[in-house]
Amino acid sequence: MKTFKLENEPKIKSGFKTPDNYFDNFSEKVLQQLNEKEVKVIPFYKRNKTISLAAAAVIGFALLIPVINNYKANSNDLDEATLENYLSYHSNISQYDLIQTLDDGDIEKLGNNVTLEDETLEDILATSPNLEHLISEQN
Amino acid sequence: MIDEKEFIKELLSPETQNTAFQKLLSDYQRPLYSHIRNIVLNHDDADDVLQNTFVKVFQNLKNFKGESKLFSWMYRIATNEALTFLSQKAKLSGISSEDLQNKTIDNLKADLYFDGDEIQIKLQKAIVTLPEKQQLVFKMKYFEELKYEEIAEILGTSVGALKASYHHAVKKIELYVTSN
Repeated sequence: MKTFKLENEPKIKSGFKTPDNYFDNFSEKVLQQLNEKEVKVIPFYKRNKTISLAAAAVIGFALLIPVINNYKANSNDLDEATLENYLSYHSNISQYDLIQTLDDGDIEKLGNNVTLEDETLEDILATSPNLEHLISEQN
Repeated sequence: MIDEKEFIKELLSPETQNTAFQKLLSDYQRPLYSHIRNIVLNHDDADDVLQNTFVKVFQNLKNFKGESKLFSWMYRIATNEALTFLSQKAKLSGISSEDLQNKTIDNLKADLYFDGDEIQIKLQKAIVTLPEKQQLVFKMKYFEELKYEEIAEILGTSVGALKASYHHAVKKIELYVTSN
């Protein structure tokens, strides 16, 4: 058997080839991969989708607050305090005129809203001598 | 080639980085491809490993201290990437690294990107029988025709030890080819 000697043989090539134009496009491939890797590091928002959505909702509501306030201010219904102020200070209607306009239903409502203790009532009656004629009238 | 320190500065500066890295790619893609292909043997695997190598090089440039040459630093990264790739592939297939390499060599005959004949296949089979270090030294010296000084810097061993390794490798290969 012939002894094989590497140095006596013609140089043996590895025989490895690459596809045509492989090296022409290689740089581009690597740079693209590097860009993708850089982008992958950044997307904090992707991992916190819920937080972002909640934040967006809060901001949305916050932006609506002035709109809601405006709507209320433009409303045609007057609130109780304004009405009371107007009647007390800006009209000619006196307390007595006002009482005259109350019907039985209104008085009953007042009775429900204002609960007076018996003692307080007695005090008022005792210290208001001008109510005496009303009491006697009732009897 | 321009002064290496100057080139590394260009690679690190954001304004010149892109152009410098393109140059690095075009200078080193072919030699590093051959180096990796000689280790992993098949083109698709070599393509993957070469891409990973350049990505690693780019990511670690800021840590490159300039203690060794850029050339040997990049070869070292490529070697580590290729060897890690092989051992992971073997692990995934549940076979030893040697069996995996033998299987790859058998498949070379049908490989589109291999135009060797019987002697190439026999030589590759002989190389697989060597210890890993001797395989590397033989491939780098015989196929890639690197100088002993360059191989010594890449593998971190002395020139004397490399010469001995290469000598042993050649003897074992000759014995294998003669008896098979």
